[in-house]
Amino acid sequence: METPETRRGGASSADNSTAATDNSAATDNTAAADNSAATDTAAADTTADNSAASSDDPVANLIAATTDTVKLTIWASEEDQTLTTQLLEDFKAAYPDVTFDITLGSESESTAKDTILTDVEAAADVFAFADDQINELVQAGALQPVAATYTYDVAGANVAGSVEAATVNGTLYAYPMTADNGYFMFYDASVFSEEDVKSLDKMVEVAEAAGKKIAMDVSNGWYIYAFFQGAGYELTLNDDGSNNCTWNAAGATDVAQAIMDLYGTNVMVDMSDEEMATAIAEGTVAAAVNGTWRAETASDAWGENYAATKLPTFNVAGKDCQMSSYSGYKLIGVNPYSANIGWSMLLAEFLTNEASQTARFEARGLGPANVAAASSDAVQADPAIAALAAQAAYATPQRVGGNFWAPAETLGQILADGSAGSDLQSVLDTAVEGIMAPIE
Amino acid sequence: MKKTVGFVVRHLVLTLLVVIWLVPILWLLVTSFSAYKGINTAHFFPEQWSLDNYKVLFLQPDSVVQYGAWFKNTLLIAIFTCIVSTSFVLMVSYAMSCLRFKGRKGLMSFGIILNMFPGVLSMIAVYFVMKSLGLTNSHLGMIIVYSAGSGLGYLITKGFMDTISTSLREAAWLEGASEATIFFKIIIPLSQPIIVYTIINSFLVPWGDFVLAKLMLNSGIATDWTIAIGLFNMLGKSLINKYFSIFCAGGVIVSIPISALFVLMQKFYVEGVTGGSVKG
Repeated sequence: METPETRRGGASSADNSTAATDNSAATDNTAAADNSAATDTAAADTTADNSAASSDDPVANLIAATTDTVKLTIWASEEDQTLTTQLLEDFKAAYPDVTFDITLGSESESTAKDTILTDVEAAADVFAFADDQINELVQAGALQPVAATYTYDVAGANVAGSVEAATVNGTLYAYPMTADNGYFMFYDASVFSEEDVKSLDKMVEVAEAAGKKIAMDVSNGWYIYAFFQGAGYELTLNDDGSNNCTWNAAGATDVAQAIMDLYGTNVMVDMSDEEMATAIAEGTVAAAVNGTWRAETASDAWGENYAATKLPTFNVAGKDCQMSSYSGYKLIGVNPYSANIGWSMLLAEFLTNEASQTARFEARGLGPANVAAASSDAVQADPAIAALAAQAAYATPQRVGGNFWAPAETLGQILADGSAGSDLQSVLDTAVEGIMAPIE
Repeated sequence: MKKTVGFVVRHLVLTLLVVIWLVPILWLLVTSFSAYKGINTAHFFPEQWSLDNYKVLFLQPDSVVQYGAWFKNTLLIAIFTCIVSTSFVLMVSYAMSCLRFKGRKGLMSFGIILNMFPGVLSMIAVYFVMKSLGLTNSHLGMIIVYSAGSGLGYLITKGFMDTISTSLREAAWLEGASEATIFFKIIIPLSQPIIVYTIINSFLVPWGDFVLAKLMLNSGIATDWTIAIGLFNMLGKSLINKYFSIFCAGGVIVSIPISALFVLMQKFYVEGVTGGSVKG
């Protein structure tokens, strides 16, 4: 997804978006990339804010139309608090003519939807969320469409996959913030060679000889998807929120058998994220399928042997299949009930512009969705981000209905602990029946 | 011989039960002193001991841990709720037990039936009522919601007051005491054990409540939260590995006020019960 071809669009908008951070005179450099005609007018307007109402520059118009204190609330995840506080200061500094009263609350991106949907009116003006929640948020009218941009071209500056993830029925509803919400393979390079990590079966062999384990949370729908999707079986979301799933089609039992065989070796182990963290630190696990949030644990434990790569292939009835994965993005949305829609949108743009995404990578190691930020040397050199980029070719966006998770978890569990028995077809039939259950 | 075997078996069973009950609490306690911040599934006892977790709770609040603020919020809400709902319960009980008025029976049954509906059913309605009054995200609103319906839980207190001899009240009445004097000078002193029970109960509800607090305090601003929400927040999947032992420390601290309240009140509780039995 992060191909060189798409970088050009990012570079042009980068000039504008970085200007917003450094710029204390507020309006003159911040015109949108596709609105270059406005730039000249805007420059003149900074001296006379009152006349700006007739200007073509949206930011100048916004400032001119603002007389009272701008009260905004924003939700960012706990881990993002320090960085966001800093970015908010920068934002205030970028628009010195306006008095802001910005409250920063905390809400995890993974639970944002649940909290917002209890009462959309009470939710924050600007919030961060994971892209798999976008359909339900849009249906509930909790997202303001990104119909116009102020400072940079959101659709052009971010990688195509992230823009697609922020789009519902052709309308862009959110601002891509990170492009790293997926998983890949971490490994200890003192145990595995680069050649080993291309095939899961080879890895199991090597790990067995070294007395180490390979961890993957297969009893979790998010991860078990890697096997079935990789082998060509489908899971798609219907319009009504139910799923369509072919995991019990002809030949799918081979995939189930492959998972059982892998876990039957006892080298491959089914571990939750927390257990994995402990096991990596203790040194029992030498390779793990997990995401960027585990990068710190892994690099602390393995030191200079810390490495990451795309997911390996696995053997389905004698044929090597590349494991797939979910690609995920974190997005920033604007609440349509906000009293200051304009400022909320401008703030959302600010928090997702190239400079902010770069800052987010530097502070927290999160992979930028912004093409220009993602192509920087520092980002390219990060093993976890590089692994994600390599995996991106085999990844699909997470679009799945709520009925998927519980049956998939059960399926993973019984395959991993070997209690599935011999009639794999009926096990898969039961799982698929649960996954495809209609929405009540 | 038979006696000894019985003794041993009894004590073995009791020991087993004690172990089952105490192991989770012991684990919470020792984990709260762990230097490793995540969940350590490989060892029961921490490999390195440390007091850091408690230090973080009170001395080094960060964006996730605002324990001092949460503690203060929860304590304030609990204390005021405790005062208001205890008064409500006592007043309703007195009225139902000692006064005679038209519709008393009907009102009592109505109150009991109303109280039997689970509070969660009305939670969303309560939320929107509070929102229209502008009382969400406010501790005053929390106190109102927690204590408003508490008078309906009068049944046990009323039952206790029924046991206080009618002749005491009649005597006071003949001496010219008003209802208020009877309530404060006669009924309240004699109801001490049940008042203690009511106080502990009405303190525990807001102290441990999560569901309503989560619904009402939805601004996402950490310093407004109660302990329950704050601790829950630490278990988010991206935080749990950095905050689990701090969470355990918070869990240990949260039990202190309840234990203190109980120990403090237990004295009166026992006094009241035994005092009553001697007189009886």
